[in-house]
Amino acid sequence: MVVKIYGFPISTCTRLVELICKEKEIPYELVDVDFRKGEHTSSAFKEHQPFGQVPYIDDDGFILYESRAICRYLIKKYPSQGTLGLIPTDLQAKALFEQASSIEITNFDNFAGPLVVEKFFNPPTKPGLLNTLQLLNAKMDAYEVILGKQKYLAGETLTLADLQHLPLGRLLCTAGLADVFSSRPNVARWWNELTNRPAWNTMKVGA
Amino acid sequence: MVLQLYGFPTSTCTLRVAVVLKEKNVPFEFHMVDLTKGEHKAPAFVANQPFGQVPYIDDDGLILYESRAICRHIATKYASQGTALIPTDPKAYALFEQAASIETSNFDPFASGLAWELRFCMWFGGQTDEARAKTLRTSLAGKLDAYEVILGRQKYLAGNEVTLADLFHLPYGAIILDIGIDEFSSRPNVKRWWDAVTSRPTWQAVKDGIA
Repeated sequence: MVVKIYGFPISTCTRLVELICKEKEIPYELVDVDFRKGEHTSSAFKEHQPFGQVPYIDDDGFILYESRAICRYLIKKYPSQGTLGLIPTDLQAKALFEQASSIEITNFDNFAGPLVVEKFFNPPTKPGLLNTLQLLNAKMDAYEVILGKQKYLAGETLTLADLQHLPLGRLLCTAGLADVFSSRPNVARWWNELTNRPAWNTMKVGA
Repeated sequence: MVLQLYGFPTSTCTLRVAVVLKEKNVPFEFHMVDLTKGEHKAPAFVANQPFGQVPYIDDDGLILYESRAICRHIATKYASQGTALIPTDPKAYALFEQAASIETSNFDPFASGLAWELRFCMWFGGQTDEARAKTLRTSLAGKLDAYEVILGRQKYLAGNEVTLADLFHLPYGAIILDIGIDEFSSRPNVKRWWDAVTSRPTWQAVKDGIA
């Protein structure tokens, strides 16, 4: 049975899972959850995802949510197909991957997320958001240092940690904040390479 | 070489690593990084941790930062000693990853945000943003309603065994309680779980700071 992803097209977390399916050549079916009708908050939905969030997957009866957990599960399940090495197995390389994956959550998503929400859902700019952008820029200065020493966030090979940045990073660009990437040579190099990946480019632009 | 832990004695993320080192019976040497003197922003420190944050470890030459990554590394490297903290069965492992992600996305932003607004920001000359604190608390309460459902079906966040995912909650959960934000006690399953995790001798040994 083909893995079913329950989500909606504009959701960055749904897109991350789709991206990994494409990178790993895993056939999937995207089941649309009606965001506008609040389907994700219904009790039927919350049976599977108690936080009322997308996505979750149904992999032949196995229900799993949290997009990064889903990605890790799928990558582990299909180690030999599609893009290899997205999660290293060598102890040290794995540790550096975990470091990079955590960097994405605490030092990127934490700041980029609110900025994007503000841009697309709350037109007037709140004062606090200037501070958030400053904080994000400070974090990207650290990315610039890291990516000056190595090709990718976890080392010399691409991992899930790099790909984790794509959906939200793309929205940052759409929100007019592309210069967090483009103004820093090493970050720009890394970002350009990520955004040129064929799997990413086969995904339809979100609504 | 004994593992070297660089952090601040009471820093939440430093304690997160300390509790896991204790669970896995891994000896370590603690080096205090004086945050009050800005030592974490000094060039020598930033050379090892480019974000200027604590903690980081030096594990026989492997420099590693991000507390949850450090914890995962210790739990994996020392899988055969101490408490088993990451399941190996594929589905149990996936449910562990789900639980670990729940902590970072559905607990930490709200708990750490509350800790900032109601305690830490004052240390840096700031003022509590009461509106933000109120919103954070309401959001946290909503998230813990979902925890209440999950923990009504199973003992811990990933299943019936304790994992890293449960331990990851300890430092910020303890701080918000200390501040007077108690969203645990009114939820019987959450309270049961919280009492079980906090009563572990390893947490009791480090919760007031690392010597």
